[in-house]
Amino acid sequence: MGGAEDDEPPSKRVKASYSYTQPKGYSNSSFLKESATCSSMARPLASQGDDELIGSQGIKKVEFVRVIADALYSLGYSKTGACLEEESGITFHSPTVTTFIQQILNGNWDGSLASLRKIGIADESIIKSASFIILQQKFFELLDREKVMEALKTLRTEISPLSVNNNRVRELSFFILFPKSRITDGLSGQRMVKSKARSELLEELQKMFPPTVMIPDGRLLQLVEQALDLQREACLFHNSDAGETSLYVNHQCGRDQIPSQTVQILQEHQDEVWYLQFSHNGKYLASSSSDNSAIIWEVNLDGKISLKHRLMGHQKPVSSISWSPDDSQILTCGVEEVVRRWDVSSGECLHVYEKGLLGLISCSWSPDGKCVFSGLTDKSIVIWDLDGKEVECLKGQKTVKISDLQITSDGKLIITICKETMILLIDRESKSERCIEEEQMIVSFTLSRDNKYLLVSLVNEELHLWNIEGRIRPVAKFKGHKRSRFIVRACFGGLEQAFIASGSEDSQVYIWHRGSGELIETLRGHSGAVNCISWNPVNPHMLASASDDRSIRIWGLKQLSSKQNGKGKSPVNNGIQYCNGATI
Amino acid sequence: MDIDPKQYEQIKINDKDSHNIILSYLIHGCYKETLESLVTSTGLKVTNAQLEDMEKRKRILHSALEGNALDAIHLTEQMSPDLLENNKDLLFDLLSLHFVELICSKKQTEALNFGQAKLAPFGKVQKYVGKLEDFMGLLAYVEPEKSPMFHLLSLEYRQHVVDNLNRAILAHAYMPSFSKLERIIQQATVVRQCLSEELGKDVLSPFSLKDFLKRS
Repeated sequence: MGGAEDDEPPSKRVKASYSYTQPKGYSNSSFLKESATCSSMARPLASQGDDELIGSQGIKKVEFVRVIADALYSLGYSKTGACLEEESGITFHSPTVTTFIQQILNGNWDGSLASLRKIGIADESIIKSASFIILQQKFFELLDREKVMEALKTLRTEISPLSVNNNRVRELSFFILFPKSRITDGLSGQRMVKSKARSELLEELQKMFPPTVMIPDGRLLQLVEQALDLQREACLFHNSDAGETSLYVNHQCGRDQIPSQTVQILQEHQDEVWYLQFSHNGKYLASSSSDNSAIIWEVNLDGKISLKHRLMGHQKPVSSISWSPDDSQILTCGVEEVVRRWDVSSGECLHVYEKGLLGLISCSWSPDGKCVFSGLTDKSIVIWDLDGKEVECLKGQKTVKISDLQITSDGKLIITICKETMILLIDRESKSERCIEEEQMIVSFTLSRDNKYLLVSLVNEELHLWNIEGRIRPVAKFKGHKRSRFIVRACFGGLEQAFIASGSEDSQVYIWHRGSGELIETLRGHSGAVNCISWNPVNPHMLASASDDRSIRIWGLKQLSSKQNGKGKSPVNNGIQYCNGATI
Repeated sequence: MDIDPKQYEQIKINDKDSHNIILSYLIHGCYKETLESLVTSTGLKVTNAQLEDMEKRKRILHSALEGNALDAIHLTEQMSPDLLENNKDLLFDLLSLHFVELICSKKQTEALNFGQAKLAPFGKVQKYVGKLEDFMGLLAYVEPEKSPMFHLLSLEYRQHVVDNLNRAILAHAYMPSFSKLERIIQQATVVRQCLSEELGKDVLSPFSLKDFLKRS
C-alpha cells in the first residue's frame, strides 16, 4: 500500500478526546475532519479480498480482524487499533458509521438522522426504530433543559409522524406535564425518568443494528467465554472452583476432585441404616435406622464427624428425616407410626404428631418452617402447624404406602408418589395437579436444589431425570447400579449439583456426571446394600452413605489438594479412621 | 316461538303509572317546557323548587355539551357544593373536556398550560395515569383526529361525560339517577335474557327493543 500518508506515524492522527467516551474507529473520523486532501486515506474495503477465510471452520478474515479491533479499542488501545486497521486495510467502522457515532455523542440529532439513512441498513423498520430512540433522546434532553415547548414540537412534528410505538408516544406526552419529573413510585419500572447518557443511547442503537454495520460490543470476550463454558460442561470431574481459569490450556479436571475414598466410618447404629441427610448448612448429618432411633452427627471444622445426639423414642424403624429450613430442628418418621419433631442443639423431642389410628409414612417441613407435612397410611396427606393443629388434609389417593414427600423450596409444589408408576405434583395454591408417569414401578425420588429437576429411582435399576419446570419432560437416564428388593435412594450433589450419586444393593456407591450421563466412580467399602446417600450441600468433597451393614461411611478426596479451605478436606491416611462416637 | 300478544291484554296499566313514568323521563332529561305542558294536561304536581333545579341542571349540562366545561364545573359547584369534591373521576372527566376543547381549537400552548396546572395533580394517583396519558397523547399529534385517541374528541364521548354528570347531580339531590323508563326497558331485556339462558337458545329469541316496537 503506497501513498504519502504511510509516512505519518499513527500517533499523530490520534487527537485529544471528546467529553464523552471515545468512539471506536476514532482515528478515521479525526482524519476525515482534518482535510479533504487526505481523503484517499479511506481505504477501500472490498479490494482486500472480502471472502478470505482463516482457520478450518470458514471464519472470514474480515470479521476476525474487526472483532480483534473491537477488543483492542475496548481495552483502550486505540493506537494499536488504528494500526491494525491500517495494516490490514480493513476498517473497523465505515466512515459513515464513525460520523454517526460522533454525531450521537455530540448531540447532533439532525445530522445523526441523516447519517442513519446512509449507513447501509436495508430494513426500514430498524431505521424507524432507531430514529425513534434518537428523537426520544432529543426530547428528553430538551425537557431536562426545561425547553418544554421545543420538546413538544419535537414530539409533534418528528416523533409522532414516525408512527412507531404509539404507546410510547402517549407516555412521552405524559412526561411533558412533568418536565422536572422525578416520578418513581407507582409507575411501571419501564419508565425513563430523565434522559440517559448518550453513550447508553449509542449502546442501545448498536444492539439494533445488524452486526455487519456495527459489531456488538465485547464480541471477542463473549466468544472466549462461550468456549470456556463448553469446556467446563464437558469436564466430567468438575467439582471444584479452586482451579484457575487459564486460556492457555483447555479446562480439564482430574478425578481427584470427586470424593472416592472412605475417610471415616460411623458405627453407632445397632441395625440397618436406612436414611441419612446433611443439614442445609452442611454442619450436621442426621441418620435413621431400623433400630428405631435416629442420630444427629456434627461435622467438625477439620472434617471429622462426631456424634451429637441420639434420638430415641420411636417404636418402629425410622424411615425418613427432614431438616427444618433453618436447620435448628428435624422431623423423623417411624414406619406407619408417628412423626417426631426434635431440637437439634438439645436433642429433645419437642412434639409428636399423629392422627388417630392411622400410621404416618413420610414427613417434610414447609419451606417457611411453620408447618409439617406428612403422608398417611390412608393415602392422604395432612398438614399440621407446629403445635399439632391440623391445617389442611389432602384427601384421595395422594400417596402410597412407601413414599417420599417433598415440598419445593418456594413452597409451591407438593411432590409425592401417588400410584405405583406415578408421581404427583400438587400446586398448593391452585390445587391443580400434574403428574409424571413411568412405565416401571417408582421406588423413590429426590428433588434438585433449584426445584427444576426430579430424579426418580425405578424398580428396573434405572434413574430417570425429569425436568419439572413448565412442561414436564424427561431429560436423562442413569444406569449401572443394582436394586432388586429394597428401597435404594439417589441424590444430587457436588459443585452446582452437577453429579448424581446413588446407593446400590451390591454394596457400592455409584456416581455419575449429570450432564453427560457417564458413570464416573463406583466406591467400594460397604459390606451390605447401600440404602441412601447424601452429598454435603456446602462441601462438594464430602459424601455420606448409609448401609445395611449398620454403618455410615464418609467419603472424601483421595489426595491432599494444594489449596485447603476450612471445610471438609480430610487428611490423607493409609488406613481408615474409625469414629468412636463419643456422646456429648 | 314467542309470547302470545294476547297475553298482554290481561295486564291492566294504571294511567297514573304511565304518567309517572313519562314524568320521570322528562325530569331526567330536563325537558322543562314539555314537563310544564304535561303537568297542565294531566294534573300532576310539580313544585317550583323542582322546576328551578331542573333549569339549573339544564344549564350545566348544556354548557358541558357545548364544550364549555369550565362553566359547567362552576355552575355545578354553585348548585351542589361538594359533589365534585367527592367525585374526582367526574371532575377529571370535565376538566379533560375543556382540555380537548383547547386542542380542537389548536391552542396547544394553552392546552399544555392548562394540563400542567389542572390535570397534572391527578397524575400522582395511579388510576388516572392511563387516562392522563391518553389526553396528553392528543397533544403529541399535529392532527389529533388521526391519532389512536381520536374517540376522545368525539361527541359520543362528551355525551357520555354529560350523562355521568347528570346522574351525579341527581344522586346528590337524592333523586333517582336512572329514569323509570330506562329501568323498565333494562328490566325487560335482562329478564328476557335470563329466560333464554334457562330455557335454551331455541325457545325464545333474544329481546330486541326495535323489533318489539315495530311489531306492536
